[in-house]
Amino acid sequence: MKRLCMALGAMVLLSAPLEAVAQDKLVVSVWGGSWRDMVANIIAKKFTAETGVAVDYITGGTIDRLNKEKLAKGNPESDITFTTSHVGWLYANDGLYETLDLAKVPNAKDLVPQARISPYHIGTWAYVYTIGYRPDLLKGVKFESWADLWRPEVKGKLAAPDFDPSHLIVVSAMLSGGDAAHWEKGEARLKELKPSFKAFYTNDANSQQLIANGETPVQVILSMNAHYMAGEGVPVELVIPKEGAVLGIDTVAIMKGSKKTDLAYKFINTVLDPSVQAEVAKFKKGSPVVVDAKVDPAVAKLPGVFTTADQWSKEAIVIDHKLRAEKTAEWRKWFAENIMN
Amino acid sequence: MTVPRRLNPSPERGGSRAKRGGWGASEKPVQSPHPAGFVGHPPPAGEGSATRSPPAASGRRATARPFLRTFVTPAALCALGLAAALAAVMQYSLRAYVPGSLEAGGFTLANFAALAKPLYGRVFLDTVWICFLTALCTLVVGYPLAYALVRARNAALKSAILVIAVTPLFLGEVVRTYSWIVVLGNNGFLNAMLTKSGLVQEPVQLMFTRLGVVTALVHVTLPVMVIMLAAALAHIDRDYERAAASLGAGPVRAFLTVTLPLSMPGIIAGVTTAFAWTFSAFATPQLIGGGQVNMVSNLVYQLGFASFNFPFAASLSVAGLALTLAVLAVMRAAARPLEQIGPH
Repeated sequence: MKRLCMALGAMVLLSAPLEAVAQDKLVVSVWGGSWRDMVANIIAKKFTAETGVAVDYITGGTIDRLNKEKLAKGNPESDITFTTSHVGWLYANDGLYETLDLAKVPNAKDLVPQARISPYHIGTWAYVYTIGYRPDLLKGVKFESWADLWRPEVKGKLAAPDFDPSHLIVVSAMLSGGDAAHWEKGEARLKELKPSFKAFYTNDANSQQLIANGETPVQVILSMNAHYMAGEGVPVELVIPKEGAVLGIDTVAIMKGSKKTDLAYKFINTVLDPSVQAEVAKFKKGSPVVVDAKVDPAVAKLPGVFTTADQWSKEAIVIDHKLRAEKTAEWRKWFAENIMN
Repeated sequence: MTVPRRLNPSPERGGSRAKRGGWGASEKPVQSPHPAGFVGHPPPAGEGSATRSPPAASGRRATARPFLRTFVTPAALCALGLAAALAAVMQYSLRAYVPGSLEAGGFTLANFAALAKPLYGRVFLDTVWICFLTALCTLVVGYPLAYALVRARNAALKSAILVIAVTPLFLGEVVRTYSWIVVLGNNGFLNAMLTKSGLVQEPVQLMFTRLGVVTALVHVTLPVMVIMLAAALAHIDRDYERAAASLGAGPVRAFLTVTLPLSMPGIIAGVTTAFAWTFSAFATPQLIGGGQVNMVSNLVYQLGFASFNFPFAASLSVAGLALTLAVLAVMRAAARPLEQIGPH
């Protein structure tokens, strides 16, 4: 018994400094894999160098992390959360985010308007979902408009994400004279596209594999994935259709209940630092969200990387993020019932 | 079912040969016709103790299970946790979805009413059919493997069969499925072999088809089937086959009339388990099916988790669970006459 008490006492003494160390860390919730590496190697590295505060990570899928934070409401596991713009609205609607005071984020003054998502979350980097194809497997086929997906040459060759049909739903609505709010106008046209689908991919790796092995030579693809595959030697061509490509923005926010809000604001300011933005753009082949980032010219010329106000306004189709959060379930259900099954 | 027990096996049978261990225990006397872990009927309390006095028997019962409470308590806690999770899923299935919110709304039956659409019925039927095909194909592939595993005399061969049969269990489901994409793709291993050998001119479409999904699922399910069949085959007394042979039956006839019927409990257990195991498959139909071949679990993901409609996902899960239980009950009833064929 005496030994047990001594052991417990030693554990208490040992755990106290560990807890102190843990409290000094800023906890960031982010996707795993290359996303976490990017945040660690580019953003957190600079943040730690400037503040002396280490960064810890909670990694997981979009939905997993959302559920965990929902369960921990009021006593969040993380101080900072990265997620997509429309899922960010789900956090915000559930009261999980702190209202941002952008006066504490000096670099936010240079944010592009499209990255000012809500009073609770702001954009960190951007990408597009657009048409990517293999010219070597689709000889003589050119894609200049989203309408080209309906061409007979595409029949049985197309893949699209199974987790988010919003791109095609909105594009079909636009081609039919509607928009995201009046998406029903595009229902009939989208049904005509059904024979073109060969598969629906589940995640980035699945998308990359299907286009690399030629199984689906045309995809509604994430621009970052297409650029990555091109870098790996796969002859993928990315198209910005004349109607524009569907914009996606990943966002950052401070969790409500965080006890390190000052550090969190500093972290967000680091995210928006022009040099960090340029590095992120180079690493992920995405768009910076501040106007004064000096992006590598080789990256800046890639399709889907927006570095000018003109590109942001003319080449991006922006689906209202809040509307998208509210409509996702309805769109997903319609797509599953009418297109996928 | 009555089980003859040889309480005093001859030393050479129960001793030296049994020491080979593993699946080579086929020469052991019959202890039970059931594969290990399938139907674990404990011996009746006091069995073989008719001459003992009641207090002595009672004392034996008390000391025979000294760890009962220790083992039952965590099991009961686990069961309680599972029941609580199931109750949470049930209550979610009866609540309304609120667009744009993580919170579910008030009581509704709309989630279950929506399941009446033909799409969902089709996917449920597809799921049952895929599970049935997978269980059947796994049995066809797994039986010879299990038989060879039990009956092989060469230790190296036995180990090789065991590794081949059980390795899929040690690979992650996602890794295993991605490997199948490489094998089944239009430019994959199988199609390369078929086209190079001149058997086909154009690649055969295996990805995004039911055939592709079932093929990959058979690989996933094979270890379970082999383990269950091997356990059943190991319990078959070889003397029955020797008796058949001494009466003039050839190897094939002895197998068909003696070994196969005696392994029926293992076959039923294997098929039932393979069916239930396949019913919850997710990554394989998700990746190999590519959204063109969907099972219930894929619908739960597509309509629930990918779009945050947790109440509808919960109703799909509850319906899937009910369907599994119903199909297993039907299978059990249908298999009862076959089970009687096993050893008595």
